[in-house]
Amino acid sequence: MKPEPILQFHGLRKFLANRWLLDIVELSIAAGQCMILSGDNGVGKTTLLKIMAGLEPPDAGEVSYGGKVLPLRTAPQDYRNNIVYLHQSPYLFDCSVIDNVAYGLRRLRMPRATVQTKVAEVLAWAGLEHLGKRNAKYLSGGEKQRVALARARVLAPKVLLLDEPIASMDYKSRERTYVLIERLKKEGMGVVITSHELYAVLPLADVHMYLHDGKLHDDHQDNIAAQMSSLITTEKRRNV
Amino acid sequence: MDNLLDASREALLLLVSGDPSLWTVVGISFSVSLKAILLAAPMALVIAFLLAHTRFPGRRALITLFQTLLAFPAVVVGLTLYLLLSRSGPFGDLRLLFTQTAMVIGQMVLCFPILVAMGHAAIQAADRRAWETAITLGARPARAMLTLMHEVRFGLMAAVIAGFGRIIAEVGCSLMVGGNILNHTRNITTAIALETTRGQFAEGIALGLVLLVLALLLNFALMLLQGRGVMHA
Repeated sequence: MKPEPILQFHGLRKFLANRWLLDIVELSIAAGQCMILSGDNGVGKTTLLKIMAGLEPPDAGEVSYGGKVLPLRTAPQDYRNNIVYLHQSPYLFDCSVIDNVAYGLRRLRMPRATVQTKVAEVLAWAGLEHLGKRNAKYLSGGEKQRVALARARVLAPKVLLLDEPIASMDYKSRERTYVLIERLKKEGMGVVITSHELYAVLPLADVHMYLHDGKLHDDHQDNIAAQMSSLITTEKRRNV
Repeated sequence: MDNLLDASREALLLLVSGDPSLWTVVGISFSVSLKAILLAAPMALVIAFLLAHTRFPGRRALITLFQTLLAFPAVVVGLTLYLLLSRSGPFGDLRLLFTQTAMVIGQMVLCFPILVAMGHAAIQAADRRAWETAITLGARPARAMLTLMHEVRFGLMAAVIAGFGRIIAEVGCSLMVGGNILNHTRNITTAIALETTRGQFAEGIALGLVLLVLALLLNFALMLLQGRGVMHA
């Protein structure tokens, strides 16, 4: 049975730099599903994620969230806190890891004790307890990514949008990030990951879509396994 | 040279002895300038944010206008305010001329362009991701603006310090709209101007020393902040 979509877009269009950068007929994100969004550099993957997160306005389209069609202009306010976007290189505020993770919870006006408990839980979840009091600006790339994931997860969003989450990461940091993304999927979060390194993220995929000439092309579930084996073969050849 | 040394010695004695009339002048200076900077800064920084973060017709013209106003002479601001606040002016009924309130207004006008121009430069240079991260984590635009300002706080503090430096040391505007009335609107700079014309160099030098120490402290604070800003970049 096809999982129920949380977030859906129809007829999504974005005009940028004298061309229709995006012209997407339909895009659905379901709970507990990981969608890999691939495509060449500059094809509009980041713009698409930002539109989904409500950080950039589209020129046309319809959005439904939780089965309810929302006006395009006000939709981001309706799904505030429920759809979280993470930059390719996550931005951490110039304060402690604890304050970074607590940022979203404080916006929800939660009692201080609840915030403290939730932050402690999520730091343990991400294996970051020892870094709680450190200034987040001075962490390594991998640690920053984990803090950003913890900061998103603590809000219990329905959809998490990750822009090139493993770009320029070493092997160990990638492994840790995979583990956290897998956990998020199991918790029922819909995850969208953009990457031009398909080989690296495909193991996480339930759905693979690729963006080309502004159109989104669906890659069927059966093809993912075939693609994986083809990519592994190519990678092996490259390494010989 | 001997005159200068004698006057300087006398000036130090005046400062150390806690001469009440001298310290009243210093107090008025600080009170007026602090009020002006505290009242002007919030609005100026919000305007700086809007100029850096929003797009609207005339935005570039407004930025150019504020940058031009940086070089606006204090005495012209004083003249304009004088005409507005004098009995025959449009705001004459408010009876603000030759009051500390008029001096505060004048100094607010003087520091406003510095706060906007330097604030705009600091916010413009901020990482766009800071704003987007705040929004995606559920902050409303006003809260996201405060978060962004916190991220560039060292640049904004530098703007406030520069604005304060400009108004504490200005003489033209305070003289014209304050009237240099003893124990009421006489501040450090207008007192220096007056004492010099009267040949009372010791008092002038003593007040000049206070300004000099203040300038030194402000520059030291600015240097510290810039140092921290670089460390935090």
